[in-house]
Amino acid sequence: MSSVERKPEHVVQLVWAGGRSEQVTLTATGKSGGAGEIFSIDEKPGFVAKIYHATTSPDHLAKYRHKIQWMVDYQPALPQVPAEYQHVVQLAWPEALILRQSRFVGFAMRKIAFDHTLELDYLLNRRQAANEGFDADYGKLVTVSFNLASLINCLHQKRIAIVDLKPMNVKVYKASLYVSILDCDGFHIATDEFSSDAPQVTPEYLAPEFQEKSVAHPEAQDRFALATIIFRLLNYGIHPFSGVAADRSNYPPELAGRIEQGLYPYGKAAHTRVRKVPASVHEAFPDGLRELFDRAFASSGYSRPSAQEWIDALSVYANKQSGQMSPCDKGHLRFSGRPCPTCLRDALIQGAEVRRRSFLARLQAAPGRTLKYVQKTLRQTHSSPFQASLAQARLNALQLAPPAPISTRNAIALEILWISGLLIVYWWTR
Amino acid sequence: MSLVAVTALWLLPLLIAWLWRPRQALAPCAWALLIVFGALGAWALWFSLYAHYGEPAGFAFWKPTILYWTLAAMMIAIPLLRWGYPAKIIIGAYFAFSNREWRWINLSLAAMYTIMGGANLWMASESSYKDWVGFKYAIMMNLLIIVLFRLNFVWLPLLIGDVFVQLYRRASAAYRYLTTLF
Repeated sequence: MSSVERKPEHVVQLVWAGGRSEQVTLTATGKSGGAGEIFSIDEKPGFVAKIYHATTSPDHLAKYRHKIQWMVDYQPALPQVPAEYQHVVQLAWPEALILRQSRFVGFAMRKIAFDHTLELDYLLNRRQAANEGFDADYGKLVTVSFNLASLINCLHQKRIAIVDLKPMNVKVYKASLYVSILDCDGFHIATDEFSSDAPQVTPEYLAPEFQEKSVAHPEAQDRFALATIIFRLLNYGIHPFSGVAADRSNYPPELAGRIEQGLYPYGKAAHTRVRKVPASVHEAFPDGLRELFDRAFASSGYSRPSAQEWIDALSVYANKQSGQMSPCDKGHLRFSGRPCPTCLRDALIQGAEVRRRSFLARLQAAPGRTLKYVQKTLRQTHSSPFQASLAQARLNALQLAPPAPISTRNAIALEILWISGLLIVYWWTR
Repeated sequence: MSLVAVTALWLLPLLIAWLWRPRQALAPCAWALLIVFGALGAWALWFSLYAHYGEPAGFAFWKPTILYWTLAAMMIAIPLLRWGYPAKIIIGAYFAFSNREWRWINLSLAAMYTIMGGANLWMASESSYKDWVGFKYAIMMNLLIIVLFRLNFVWLPLLIGDVFVQLYRRASAAYRYLTTLF
């Protein structure tokens, strides 16, 4: 069998840090994003290539090249991982430039094993996580939050900010609970040697002071997004700014609008304009975490807790030996000395479930009840005087025309003739 | 659909109508209407189903006028012959009007049909083909109103008051009979 013929544009050159270069062949994976398309690299199975779309303007491509070149040369130091987890890729950081006929077209980065990871988004819904083979409990969620804060802290120490930090851009390793951040070429960099902005944002994770404005303080933005993600992880996916309006007037329908107006209902002090979502379990969180959430969502800028503060707060819960997480009577992990959030959630959902089942039962019984009502109406055997009078009234309404002095069969015969006449008229007038 | 099937499709309801016909004597005006509509229907069936050469050229413009003026002529002639009021048959004897009222209704229908037949000819000769077709469809909306009227005052009471009740009684009797067996 002959080898697969390669298109010339799939043969490219990798330029590693230090200038070493090699020729490789790319194969399309079918995955594509807003900025570029992902290819596998035949000769480097541990890497993938991101090739910017052909429609990218030369100006943008030049900016990308400048940024990627800097990123290739300056790899940030990341949190240490044990030897057995050396395969974990914590950042999809550019490691080589990709040139096609000496022209910059993209970059190579380490490949994240998608089989062993799941999107952080899935952890926001326990059922979705279970479908992906991840049994989420509070111990794991706290550890994922801790690892995410650790990774962000390393970046912040290097004056690098993610800006568009959201669950979709974060992958979680199912076994080790380490996290991996994607789309590193969109990071904000502000070092002494190099700076680059990050225009991409997601309104649901954007701090109030940057809504509909450019992000002037990227680290402050990251602090807000990190707190939002941790809150959602620990509170069954409930966004800190989703709530029930105490007064429907002036309650923005979009999360972005609520963030802008600071409508955070899960604070230790109740909000006057908005109430919490009934299924929220934030009251089962330790006071230390609740205070951090309150600072993150009720303050602004750099007064929000930093990634380091989150590390300090979460480390005791992420560490099994600390004894700060203990099982409840049903065996769920909870914050020691606090009510079990899982049991609390189950009780809240069960109440809603009982109401839903009762409604469904009433709905299912409706056809039977209707049939009985019709039978009673036809037999005129209604026991309730009200129902009897109601049924009588309806029958009278149906008998507007006086009964014909002919049998039903005769009436049907006449109507057949009438319809035939109508069809004849239709033919003559069409 | 083959011609045999099409023929069966219109013949079968007419056969049912014949078998289930009222046995009492028909008013002369009903006979007259039946004959005229039989002729118009035969013509329609012949030219739409069986005549391969189709209807005569230019006849399409005359069709509505022929129908309206035929009806108008009957509306005027039959009462003069003291055969009754055709309006009673067309609208249906489900409304309790006096003979005087029926006479006026009959005359109104006659006038309306006369005007509509003339209007059709005028539109066919004076306006564009497109406008004439539009006019015909506008007139056809009247048929829809008539059908809705009939549905409300005749078919629904017939179905709910007679057919469904009888079916229900029969089903109940069958159910009672079956319960005696087991």
